[in-house]
Amino acid sequence: MKKLLRRLVLLGVIAGGAYAALRYLRGESAATETAQMVFDDGSTRFLASNTAEGKELAEIAQKIVEIGL
Amino acid sequence: MAERTGAGTDGDLDRVLADLRALSGDIASCAVLSGDRDLLSSSHASAVDRQRIGALLAALMDLSDRLAREGGKDHAAQLRIDTADGHLLLVRLDGGGVLAATTGPEARVGLVLYDMRNSRAEIDKVLAEESER
Repeated sequence: MKKLLRRLVLLGVIAGGAYAALRYLRGESAATETAQMVFDDGSTRFLASNTAEGKELAEIAQKIVEIGL
Repeated sequence: MAERTGAGTDGDLDRVLADLRALSGDIASCAVLSGDRDLLSSSHASAVDRQRIGALLAALMDLSDRLAREGGKDHAAQLRIDTADGHLLLVRLDGGGVLAATTGPEARVGLVLYDMRNSRAEIDKVLAEESER
């Protein structure tokens, strides 16, 4: 039983390491808040940097910030 | 992407934006885009740069409107986007246009947005006067 548990833990460590390496190689990073939309009724929507919408907004914004308005 | 050359509105808008920049030192640059997606005022002098900025802002407004509609809203009243080099801030105007500003990464964004919202009424007034002419 103890041996089985040890193998399971080892398997988890290996799987976690492989997943982390895969994400690193793909260039994925932890999600951060990139955009905040405030509406007339006072409600707010946050868009994370790892979402398609967040990336799209950030790409356009980055160009505008670089060249200025 | 049309550009206005009339002295009246351009001059008034430029004055309001100059006042805004003087009030809010964190603003690096600012511009006004009309509801028809025309760039009404910008710090860029060359037509090419103005067209590029107008197109980028128009694309951003279209995307923002689409995201708002997906969430069951008409449009965003305010949009803040954080980038590695700074922030892009948009405040919606009465006629569907936007007042846009860029800042550096260390800017006090809340204060800048507060100043932008305060300038909105004056910009709306200038644009309304122009549409009456």
